[in-house]
Amino acid sequence: MSINKDGAVQNARRDLAKRLNIDPADVKERSVEDSDFPDMSLGAAEDGEMSGQMITPGWRIRLEANGQTFEYRADKNQVRLYKFKGKNYRI
Amino acid sequence: MNRNNIFIHIALALVLILVAAFAGQLSRWRNQLKTSVRIVPAEKKQPSSAEEIALSETRSFGRPEVLVKFKSGVSLSAIESLTARLNDRVEDSIESVAGLEAIDDLDNADANAVAAQYKAMPEVEYAEPNYDIELDEIDNPLEPILPRDPQFNDQWALANSGQRGGKKGADISATLAWAKTTGSKDVVVAVLDSGVDYKHEDLENNMWVRPADMDPYHDDELGTVDDLNGYNAIDGTSDPMDENGHGTHCAGIIGAEGENDLGIAGVNWKVQIMPLKFMSAGGFGTTKDAIEAINYVIQRKKAGVNVRIISASWGSTQKSRALEDVIRKAYENDILFVAAAGNASTNNDRSPHYPSSYDVPNVVSVAALDRNDQLASFSNYGAKSVAIAAPGVEILSTWLGNQYEEKSGTSMATPVISGVAALILSENPRMSVDDLRKKLMDSTDPIVALKGKTVSGGRINAAKALE
Repeated sequence: MSINKDGAVQNARRDLAKRLNIDPADVKERSVEDSDFPDMSLGAAEDGEMSGQMITPGWRIRLEANGQTFEYRADKNQVRLYKFKGKNYRI
Repeated sequence: MNRNNIFIHIALALVLILVAAFAGQLSRWRNQLKTSVRIVPAEKKQPSSAEEIALSETRSFGRPEVLVKFKSGVSLSAIESLTARLNDRVEDSIESVAGLEAIDDLDNADANAVAAQYKAMPEVEYAEPNYDIELDEIDNPLEPILPRDPQFNDQWALANSGQRGGKKGADISATLAWAKTTGSKDVVVAVLDSGVDYKHEDLENNMWVRPADMDPYHDDELGTVDDLNGYNAIDGTSDPMDENGHGTHCAGIIGAEGENDLGIAGVNWKVQIMPLKFMSAGGFGTTKDAIEAINYVIQRKKAGVNVRIISASWGSTQKSRALEDVIRKAYENDILFVAAAGNASTNNDRSPHYPSSYDVPNVVSVAALDRNDQLASFSNYGAKSVAIAAPGVEILSTWLGNQYEEKSGTSMATPVISGVAALILSENPRMSVDDLRKKLMDSTDPIVALKGKTVSGGRINAAKALE
């Protein structure tokens, strides 16, 4: 199922609230930008994951919670959390 | 007349004969120079159509001249009459071949068109443009071959005429390579990717299908898999249908059917593409599934399938010893492994990208070039670890549902190299994987932008690869 920009932002907010164990209302949207990512895992491959080396258009979503900024990356196929405590996650 | 006068007259006659003979030889030398040694004009018309791309690769614009061989019995006056009718003139008769005339076109039309006019005449045995010959440096004498695929003009990687602001000639010289071979159905290339849309109208005739006399694939854990159209390592089933488009794009670069009046032409007009699926609809997959798919290729090779190349337009920065081992096993089975260098704009010598950075003899790591012969802004590089470069920006190829899309990445450069490797094998089917890799490395055009960036320092040249 194809994901649009708004859907990706909503997925990201829900995911971050869950990870931080906070109310989704406490997650603030700092910026959402169109972006070209270096590969099909959006430059955020999980451990043991390989991805197509094709430039992939998507959105870079920056959320703020607990005084910190968190980066999500999304395209029509997926939403990923980038370098959360040093690791990438596909949500 | 006394005896002394006779000697004087004979001497004078001999002198006159020698002078006439010398003048005639001078004229022949002059004509030979005009027909065989040419100076390419500095200003050339910029070709834009497919036809002009061909012309630009056969000869220079602006000096039309043709060599026409008239059939025996056609008199010189008849020849002059025919040439005059086309506003041409006989510039020289080639005495050693009866009926062969060098003809100058006074309208300055292009030489191929003029030659075609003569070819159509019943009095003519053959007619051909007077090709430019440059002293000391003779270009590839092959005549370029153009496919009639309607979107070929947008395939700058194969024939760059300067379209969309590109640099003329910054291509892989595919049209000259095709004068020698357009590929062979005897060569099988495994596209290890997100699968392939094997029903795409520009691919379906070049898809591998398990031979009727070959047993379905058997794996001790999976059991028997009916791999009629290839292999799906994600779920261990028989259906490698692409749900993403990436694999279909790569397959089209290697082997979209040529000369079929549809879409584009692949580097190979005819080949067998074996689709292998290990990446999902999202375009990513696991190392374990990649290993399973490579193992499948090796088993099929052992079972008699002539699969000699694995095209791997994927990777990550994570090293896997198991993946390296199975690629080495592919090497031991004479299979080339062509891999994308990666798109992080980084130096693979310092920050390796896998599988392209594995130190295994069959691995060819591929960087991407744009249409101006510049290293793509995203492309990884490495003077020690990235072997070669190929076009990889704004590459038009096949996409899901009989569509065509332009995509960029070392993903797109990789199948160009796989395609050229397949062309080489079509001409040299017994070439070992070591020789095949060496042939690729020795078949590049040096590119300034690649100096110190790749091992070969050049862009692949398919025509050179077939020399």
